[in-house]
Order: sequence, then C-alpha cells, then structure tokens
Amino acid sequence: MMSPSVARRTFATPVLLGLLLIAFALVAVAVGSKPFNQTIIDIFLKVIFVVGLWVFVGNSGVISFGHIAFACLGGYVAAWTTIKPMMKGMSMPGLPDWLMQTEIPYWGSAIVAAGWAALWALIFGSVLMRLSGIAASIATFAMLAMVNSIYSNWESVTAATSSVVGIPIIRSIWPYLIAALISVFAAWAYGISRHGLALRAARDEPTAAAASGIDIPRARLIAFVISGAIMGMGGALYSHSIGIVTPDTYYLGLTFITLSMLVVGGMGSLSGAVLGVLILSTLIQTLRWLEAGVQVGETTFALPGGVQEIALGVVMILILMFRPAGIMGNKDLSLPQWAALETKGSQGPKNLKT
Amino acid sequence: MKRILTALAATTCLTAPALADDDKIIVGFATAETGFMQAYDKPAQDAAMIRISEINAAGGLLGKQIEVVTADTKTDRAEGAKAGLTVIDAGADMVVVSCDYDFGSPAALAAEGAGLPSFFLCAESIKAGIQGVGPNSFSASVLAAVQGATMADWSYSKKEARTFYRLLDTWTEYNKGICDGFDYMLPKLADAKLVGEDTFLNEDASIAAQITRIKALPEEPDAIMLCTMMPGAVSAIKQIRAAGINSMILNGSGVDGSYWLSAVPDLSNFFVPVQGSIYGDDPNPDVTAFNAKYKEVTGGDPSTQYVYPGYVMIDVWAKAVERAGTTETAAVVAELEKMNAEPTLFGPRTFTNEIHHQNRARYLIVETNAGKPGVVDEWTISEAIPVADLMK
Repeated sequence: MMSPSVARRTFATPVLLGLLLIAFALVAVAVGSKPFNQTIIDIFLKVIFVVGLWVFVGNSGVISFGHIAFACLGGYVAAWTTIKPMMKGMSMPGLPDWLMQTEIPYWGSAIVAAGWAALWALIFGSVLMRLSGIAASIATFAMLAMVNSIYSNWESVTAATSSVVGIPIIRSIWPYLIAALISVFAAWAYGISRHGLALRAARDEPTAAAASGIDIPRARLIAFVISGAIMGMGGALYSHSIGIVTPDTYYLGLTFITLSMLVVGGMGSLSGAVLGVLILSTLIQTLRWLEAGVQVGETTFALPGGVQEIALGVVMILILMFRPAGIMGNKDLSLPQWAALETKGSQGPKNLKT
Repeated sequence: MKRILTALAATTCLTAPALADDDKIIVGFATAETGFMQAYDKPAQDAAMIRISEINAAGGLLGKQIEVVTADTKTDRAEGAKAGLTVIDAGADMVVVSCDYDFGSPAALAAEGAGLPSFFLCAESIKAGIQGVGPNSFSASVLAAVQGATMADWSYSKKEARTFYRLLDTWTEYNKGICDGFDYMLPKLADAKLVGEDTFLNEDASIAAQITRIKALPEEPDAIMLCTMMPGAVSAIKQIRAAGINSMILNGSGVDGSYWLSAVPDLSNFFVPVQGSIYGDDPNPDVTAFNAKYKEVTGGDPSTQYVYPGYVMIDVWAKAVERAGTTETAAVVAELEKMNAEPTLFGPRTFTNEIHHQNRARYLIVETNAGKPGVVDEWTISEAIPVADLMK
C-alpha cells in the first residue's frame, strides 16, 4: 500500500541522489573541459543504465544479464528516428518508408526508445517472468544474445555490424542530467508504489507473498517493463552521446560493467545503484588519469597502461570482501534526523535471492 | 560523498585545457594505446612520428615546430569520443584517429564537430572520410576495394588468370570491401569468368565444406580471390593448400607480413598487394631507407605494410598546410582536395571534394614463393573505382 507517509519518509533519498548528480554536473560546468564534460555524460548514462537495472534486479532479486538488450533496442531507435532521411537510405535501406522519412529531435527519440524497449520488455517479460532464480537469469542472457544476433545480422534495417553514423551528437550535459534525474525519481516512485512493495515482498518471502494474493509473475513483469523503458531511454541517449551505434557496444562489456556497478554499490537499495556508478566511475577515471601520467614537480608519474582494468578488479573484490551486500547494503541515503525512523521502521531485507 | 567530490575536483585540475599556441602546430593523436587496436595504431603512429621529427628537423612547418598530444581510446568507442575531445581541448590543429572506422569514428566525429580536420591512420572503408564522418575527414590508406580490383586486374593481365573463385569471410567490412572491388573489376575483364563463390567466417575452425565445393569444380580455378584477414586467414590458406588446391591465391593487404608464414610451410603461388615493401626489396630505395630508420626508432622492422599510411598521412597534411600557409581547416582541406597524384614515398595520392580516400592507387605485388615473400611487380588499376560503386 502506498501511503503518503512512505513517500514523505523516503522522499529524501531521490532528492539527495538528485542533488549529488546535479553536483557532478556543476563540477563539469565549473571545470569547463570538453573531455571532462564527456566523462560526466558517460557517468550519467551509466546511472540511467544501473538505475534501470536496479528497478528490476533490486526489487525482484532476480539477476538480469539481459537488460543491455533494451539499451540496444533504444540505441537503434535513435538511429532510425534522428538520422537525416538521405543518410538513412544509404546505411539502412530496408526501413519502411514512413520511418525513413521520420526525423525527430533527440528527446523525441529518447521517449520513443523508452516506449519501444518497454514494448519488447512486455513481450519478452510475459514469458520470462514465469521463471525464477538462475533459470530466469540465464533466460535474460539468452534474450541479450538473441537481440544482439538479430541486430548484428539484419543488414537492411540495422546495417548489421557496421557502425551507423549520422546520429546528432548532443554534447550538452543537461539532457543527460535530466534523464538521470527522471530515472532516479521513477525508480524511487516505483519502489514505494504498491507494485514495488509487493515485488520486494515476493523477493523475500515468495510463499507468503503469493499466499497474500500477490501475483508474482505480474509484479515482476511490471518492474521488467519499467526497467526496460529506462534502459531504452538510456540506450538512445548513449547513441546521441557518441554519434554512432553498433550492436557490440550493447553487449557483454556494458552488461558486466553495469552489473558490477550495481553489485558493488549494493543492489538492495536505489542509493546503492547510483553510488555504485559514481564511486566506480570516479575510480576508473582516476586510474585513467594516473595511467595518462600525473605531473608532480619535475617528474611525471604514470601507471603502466592496462593497470586500470586490474586495479578496478582488485578494488571490487576488496569492497565485496568487506561489504558483501555492496557499499550501501540495503540502506538508502536519507537525512540524519530521519535515519533513526528509517532503521526502526522499514529496514530492508537482509538476504537477497539471485 | 565529499571525499568523492574532492577527489574528482583534484583530478580534474590535471586536465586543465591547454590553449592553442601561436608558435607551434599541434597534432593530436586520439588512438589506441591499449586494447587490441593498439597493434594496428602503434606502428602507423610510430611512422607518423618519424615524419613529424623529419619535418621538425628541417625547420618545422610554416616555421613552427610540430608538437604532439595524445589520448588513449582504450579500443573503446565511448572512450574514443573522449580521447578526441581531449586532444581538441589540448589545442590540436589536426586530429589523428584510430585505424579502424568503427573505433576511429567517435573521435573523428568530435573533430568534425569542432571544425577540425581528421585523419584515420589506416582505415580502408569509404565511410572513413566524407561519407561516414564529414567534409573534413580523411583516410591515409587506400580503399579495400582497390586491393581486390588490383588483384583481379593484375592476375588477369599478367598471369593469364581466366577462371576465378571468390571466397569471402563475412566477418568485417574490410573483407567485404576487398570482394566488392573484385566484383567491380571482374565484369570489365573480357572472358574472365567467376566459376564459383562461397562465404565463411573468420572464426570458423574448418572450411572443409567450402573446400569440397572448390574441389568439386570440373577444373581447378586459375585464381581464388580470398577476401579475409588475420587471424582466420592463416587457417583458411593452410586448409586450401592442404587439400591439394594449387590455384593462385589473391588477397588483400591484410595478410601482408612474414610473421605467420611458418604456419603454412613452403607456401607458393600466393599474392598480396602492398603500398610499400617491408622485405627490403622495394623498387624505391627511399622505402628501404625508411624501414631502416623505423628499425632505429622503434627497435624492430615494420611487421606489415600498415606502418606506411602513418607516414603518408603527415606527409600530405604537412604539404597542404605549407601550401595553404595556415592550419585553418577550410584552407587545408581545400589544398588536400587539390592533390592529384601527389607523389609520396608510397605511391601517388589523390583527394577530391567527392572522396577523401584512394579509389585508385599504385600497388606493389608481393609473391610468396616457397615460403619467401618478395616484390614481383607493381600495378595500378586503369581507372578509379567510381564512388557510386563504392557506396553499395
């Protein structure tokens, strides 16, 4: 049941996370360097992906390896709807005429992408959500492989493995910030809605939840569709951030980095999802700068190339050694005076099922 | 939280933008220093550095020294965009991007967005240029299609090949490009006949089925056009020869180099088009001198011909800057587009306002005989491949 008090009690979480994201954006503006701006855009995109992932994984407890498939669907929607009709004709001649003539702004493509990904999440989800545990995880992985296979081979519609170019590049940080804020607030609103609460109940006590009248596959399906929509929007914006799209961008690499960010941050809470991205991204970026070399006085210190990947792995292992439930565990960010209330009242579950 | 922000703020200070300086010219390399593309980018970049140091030693460009800034793309597209922006922020007057179109285009698009000229180190797709990036983007290499067309034309004219078999590895655009060029050339050769065609995938462990179909032909074809690249090429070649097929094998430049020849002992009747010879027998002694210089600088001989486009790139760009008298993009691009058969160490180069790539080029033909590669001929296709045919 969504009571106003739940909303009031937990409202601080999305606000604090939002402020944190705004702070990142302001740092980017203050620094004023183009590559740094692009780095922050990249972080916001990861926030969208990981929050999208959290909506399903965090609430249902089912690990999904397949969500990046929705980002792929979204990424190609951006290509289909925003590239100039003439260029589209050359790279993707198989598009239907009405789509060939369509040219909409980037925010329009993000919205359409969200809808398109949600539609497919609904179709896939109505089958997959009947599974649970590891079977569901592997099934989502199969979905990723399937989408990747189709998009890598459907030459006339996706240009197969070739890069599709001509997607308008958006280098302003604000659209990405707004999209990240939308995802955070949407994820929060879903989390405290009756559907979110029902799904979390089903995650922790499936038998009791089912006995209380919760239709578990349906509850999961709702989360799956919402998270699919968020991923789709993120996928479209990802295309707009670099201006090209290929199927292998949205495959194993992105799947595992987003999952690791979620696990390291703590998949029990929305704050864990967002902080996981912010902390790991900051770490990755710092290591990259160290790789590029840091001037200290007369000498330049530089890590050997490739250390970043190794160090990232080591740090992730260390974090999980000491905090197996992730950095945030099941806790959400909240204002200090409300913290006491929070722990007394709605402490999250301790054990997650995968 | 505060700690993260402090760390972030602290690290960002390190990348404070350097402003373009008037007494130097800056070339920005947004290329792969790590990841698998490094194997392609590094050699060409080393060659580019050799040309830059030659120019600097001779007094610089427009009387200014050329400086180099670099950023690592990590063989990743999103990082590629950042690397492009990084070198642009560092004041680059020209942006050099990764060898491959897929990995180089994000940085090239960033340069295009900033109104700067960009050069792909050795991309061989028509998209690496006006068609796939924009009016200020160029590639330093020659189109894959020219390689296929050259091999068809040359084997027809010089080796009397009349029956051809086309074997395409559909893994990459590059492979398809070679076969597209072959397809363009074949109908132009009177009584040359395609007796069969087949496809495979680079990762296929066995191409026995394809080989069986070649063996089933009433007569062994004169030549097999093999459109593939490393690493799958070695296995395909080995299997063709092991099956007792002795037709001449025609290839793209992607299989140049002797590093893999020990895997197919005593390989013969095997032909590769190259822009310059790494085997010390280039008809132009300056190329051999360059090879020695390359060894001196990097400690090793060039391993394939893909070293050379890096040198050509700086060469033609510097000439354009010299002629324009400025590094201003529009003027430099206009000068580049005026180049018609501009002589370089590795053959003449032409750019037009329609295509920033070579749709015709002189190629040396390297024959491998009893496992020993060497230059046997040189060939230029009679006319440039029309852009319309390249865009298919």
